[in-house]
Amino acid sequence: MYRSIFLSTLVYALLLAGLITLRGELIALAIPFMLYLFFGFWSAPEKLDLLIERTLSIDRVTPNTDVVVTLTVTNHGADIEELLLDEKISPRLMFRIGSPRHLIRLTKGSSRTFSYTIAGPRGTYVFDSVNVTATESLGLIRREQSFATNKKLFIFPEVKRLKYVAIHPRRTRVYAGTIPARVGGTGTEFFGVREYQVGDSPRMINWQVSARHAENLYSNEYQQERVADVGIVLDARVRANLFHEDQSIFEHKVKAAAALSDAFLSQGNRVGLLVYSGYLGWTIPGYGKIQRERIMQALARAEVGVSSVFAGLEHLSPRMFPPESQIVLVSSLVNDDLNVLIHLRGRGYQVMVISPDPVKFEHKLLPASSQVDLAARVIRMERDLLIRRLERAGIQVVEWDVSIPLDQAIGPALTRPRRLL
Amino acid sequence: MTVVALVSSIIISIGSLAWGYAGVGFDIFARWIVIFGMIWLFTQWQGWGWFSSLGLFFVILLSAFGLWFGFTPGWLFSSSIFALFAWDMTDFHRRMRSMAKDDNMRGLERRHIARVSLLSLAGLGLASIAMLVRVQFTFEWGALLVLVILLGLSQLVGWFRRQSK
Repeated sequence: MYRSIFLSTLVYALLLAGLITLRGELIALAIPFMLYLFFGFWSAPEKLDLLIERTLSIDRVTPNTDVVVTLTVTNHGADIEELLLDEKISPRLMFRIGSPRHLIRLTKGSSRTFSYTIAGPRGTYVFDSVNVTATESLGLIRREQSFATNKKLFIFPEVKRLKYVAIHPRRTRVYAGTIPARVGGTGTEFFGVREYQVGDSPRMINWQVSARHAENLYSNEYQQERVADVGIVLDARVRANLFHEDQSIFEHKVKAAAALSDAFLSQGNRVGLLVYSGYLGWTIPGYGKIQRERIMQALARAEVGVSSVFAGLEHLSPRMFPPESQIVLVSSLVNDDLNVLIHLRGRGYQVMVISPDPVKFEHKLLPASSQVDLAARVIRMERDLLIRRLERAGIQVVEWDVSIPLDQAIGPALTRPRRLL
Repeated sequence: MTVVALVSSIIISIGSLAWGYAGVGFDIFARWIVIFGMIWLFTQWQGWGWFSSLGLFFVILLSAFGLWFGFTPGWLFSSSIFALFAWDMTDFHRRMRSMAKDDNMRGLERRHIARVSLLSLAGLGLASIAMLVRVQFTFEWGALLVLVILLGLSQLVGWFRRQSK
């Protein structure tokens, strides 16, 4: 557009100069420019009638997996001399092969297909439109239009399979599952002995106890196994995630939350997710594959956030979780968190903390020196003290050195049965 | 191909203008014109596309002055037309950067250069005819031209307003 204005101005300036000076040569000089302009206006592109379709080879992937994006453009309108297709794609995505920008000539009824390969880190990426700019061959007149092609690419965190995560919430749900329910009934773990009831299998009779009481028979009772409510809290506060030179431990936490939610859902539990960031991102509890998808989408979106309101964990309201359910906090812990967690524990929740070790994480990032070592020792002692206080309050804390894969580092600690409090 | 066309058009445009000026004894002017041409080439090498608009303006201005003072019109016309060609090639070169490897770059280049060359030739031909068929500037001719200019301006303004909507 600016080009045509510039050229028009020159032409009129020449014509005016010719008129003022009464020199025909100046008007003759304007003729080639006028011809150029007229050709540009004459061949200006008409309203664009394009059909643009975009397909993704796969729309749910793990980080750095190649995804092939295919774009097909069909022209149902007049010939277009120059058609610039430009896709605005998140700068976080890397182009492995191909390009999202194409300049082509598209005749009436013809179609072109392009492909490019992208990969990227965890996140949700929206491919909502393709920007198209049509120009005539001289580039004087351009027509821009945006075509909606709604597609989403979910790059989910990598999920490490945890075989079994042992939890013991005080209250369970009515459906059969794998969590010890603290109620006698059918199951595999011995729970207690009660008087024989009509219908009890002879195999259940505890002959040793019955022998001591001549008037009655006694049957073994087993602990019922049911599903439970589990609330996973992902700590995404800046102060608990960013360390030396903006290196973040957050990705490790996301991986842990993904692995835990996958394990709990596989055990048949009802699982909810709370991302505690600059806001509270709450995924309502649910069961099964649909809930897994919801949680994975929430984890794909999760980002470290800063907020003066959510700087501490005070807003971790007990009302968000069913009473006496299991809460799993994935956090590297800061000293202020102690009271909040003890308060939750006091309200009857079983609290488990999966804590990626920030001291080891940051220590590896810093240059080796005696001062750094000393500082690390001091912080280590503070952290150990915090963890000991939490454990004394009945909170299970599992420390994770993030240099070791999650399943190897904390898998054994999680599967171990724990004393009921 | 585009780069070759761009560089040669700048050289021819500046060369013609300098020759036109040198032909009537303005040697110092011609030298400054050549220096300007070298700067123009340097800016294109640096990728400063905006300089071509300045170059075109400069060449047209000097050509207009030359024509006003009665220098040889052939060199000045050729200089303006090649400056227009260079200005066009600069923008085309910028647009070409958007092309992916699998786009038909050669075809688009060939078509564009052919089209602009034909337009330039046609423009040069029409300008030459206009120079040959000289019309005496009378009041009537002047009034007609003013009317045509006003009509063209109003059409242009209307078109821009429609586009902005």
